[in-house]
Amino acid sequence: MEIKKTAIAGTLESSDVQIMLTQGTDGIVFDLVSDVAKQFDDAIKQTINQVLSEYGIQNVIVKVVDKGALDMVIKARTVAVVQRALDTVGEPKWEVL
Amino acid sequence: MTNTVQDIHMSNVTQKKNWQAFLSKLGITKFNDQELDAIEQTIGIYDDEQLVATGSIAGNIIKYVGVCAIGETSKGARFNQLMTALENRMALLERFHQFVYTKPLYVQSFEHVGFKLLADSSAGVLLEKGSPDVQNFLNAIPKALQGVQTIGSVVVNANPFTIGHQYLIEKAANENDLVYVFVVNQDVSLFRTAERFDLVKQGVKNFKNVIVVAGGDYIISYLTFPSYFITNTQQVINYQTTIDARIFKNIIAPALAIQRRYVGSEPLSHTTNLYNQTLVRELEPEIKLIIVPRIAQDNQTEIVSARKVRQAIAENDFEAWSEIVPETTKKFINQHLAELQMRIRKGQKINGN
Repeated sequence: MEIKKTAIAGTLESSDVQIMLTQGTDGIVFDLVSDVAKQFDDAIKQTINQVLSEYGIQNVIVKVVDKGALDMVIKARTVAVVQRALDTVGEPKWEVL
Repeated sequence: MTNTVQDIHMSNVTQKKNWQAFLSKLGITKFNDQELDAIEQTIGIYDDEQLVATGSIAGNIIKYVGVCAIGETSKGARFNQLMTALENRMALLERFHQFVYTKPLYVQSFEHVGFKLLADSSAGVLLEKGSPDVQNFLNAIPKALQGVQTIGSVVVNANPFTIGHQYLIEKAANENDLVYVFVVNQDVSLFRTAERFDLVKQGVKNFKNVIVVAGGDYIISYLTFPSYFITNTQQVINYQTTIDARIFKNIIAPALAIQRRYVGSEPLSHTTNLYNQTLVRELEPEIKLIIVPRIAQDNQTEIVSARKVRQAIAENDFEAWSEIVPETTKKFINQHLAELQMRIRKGQKINGN
C-alpha cells in the first residue's frame, strides 16, 4: 500500500505518542524522539513496524515523538495514523484491530 | 482542575488585552502590527478561567508561545498540551511542517516535542519539525556531477531580473564549474515569486553551468523572521541575518558542496549592506564571499538596481528601465505593464528589496 497523504495522530502529552507518516521511497525510515529511547527504541519501532506490515506499507517516513506511551497506545495511534494516511478512515481494517 | 483549549480572538479587545498582559508577564513585550497581522489563529489553555498557556499560528510558523508553570500538575504538561493543539490545528489546514523562532534557553523544550535545531545565535534560534523539512528541500536540488571542481552560488530576489543580476551570475559562471542561483521565495515583492523565478531562468539560459533553484523556506526568509522576543532593534537585524547565514553555511552549502558565494556590493540599501557584513563574518573562511562591484550605467554615476526598474515602471519611464534589464525582462514588463502599474497603485511597496 502507498501513503496517499501526510497524516498525524496522537498527542505530545505524557504517556502518549505522536506519530506522523509521510510518503517515502526508501523503505520504512524512522525519525524517533523519546526520553526512553535508550531502553525502548527498538520496542517502539517493532510495534509500529508490525502495524505497518499488516497494512502492507513498505515505503514511508515515520516521525515519532514518544512521551512514554505503552505498547497498546503506540499500536492504537499507529492504526489511526495509517488509516488517515491511506485516506481510509471510514473503512477500518478489522483484522488488524 | 480542568485545562481547556480555547480560541483567543484578536478582534476582541478584552481578550487581546489579557493575552498581551499574560505574555508581558513572561517577558514577551513586543506586539507590533507587522508581527500581529501575520497571525491566523491564537489559542489559549485555561485553567478554570485563568489563561495559563498560549501560542499562535502564522503560516507554518508557531509564535508567541508562552506557558505559565504555576499550578501545573507535572513539568511541561501545559507546554506539551499546547504544542499538540497547535500542531493538530495546523494538520487540519494540511500543514505538517512547523517553524519556531525562540530564545536559546527554550531549545530543549522544543526538542523534547520533536523539533530540530536549524541554526542558533546568541539572540535567537530557529527550529523546525515535520515534513517536508530541510532534508527534503536539499534532496530535491540537482547535485553536481562527478568531476565538477568548483561550485559557486548566488542568491537573488530579482525584483525584477536586471543586467546587474546577469553580470553577477555571468561572473560566477565564468569562474566556477557550476553555479547555483537561489531565488528568494517570499512573495512580498512587486514581481510575484513565479514571475521573478521565470525571469531569472530566462535571463541565465545561455549560461550552461547555472542551476536556478527556488529558495524555499531556507534562503533569506530572514525578511520575515519573527523577532518579537528580541527587544533591541540593532540586535534584531543581526540575529535575523546571522541565522540566515548559518543555515546557508552549515546546512545548504555542505549538502551541495558550495565553496563560494557571490554578492553585489551594496552602497544603497542599509539592510542589505548589514547583511553583506554578516555574510563576511559568518561564511569565511570555509565559504569564500566574493563581493562584486555593482555595474553602473554609461555615465558611471548611477549603479544598476532593480529598485530603479520599479521606480521607472511607476513613472511609466520606458527608456529608464529598458536600459538596465535584459531583453527577456523587457519583454515581460512590456506585456504586463498595466498590471504591474495596477499593483503599485493598489499599494504594493516598491522601495524595499
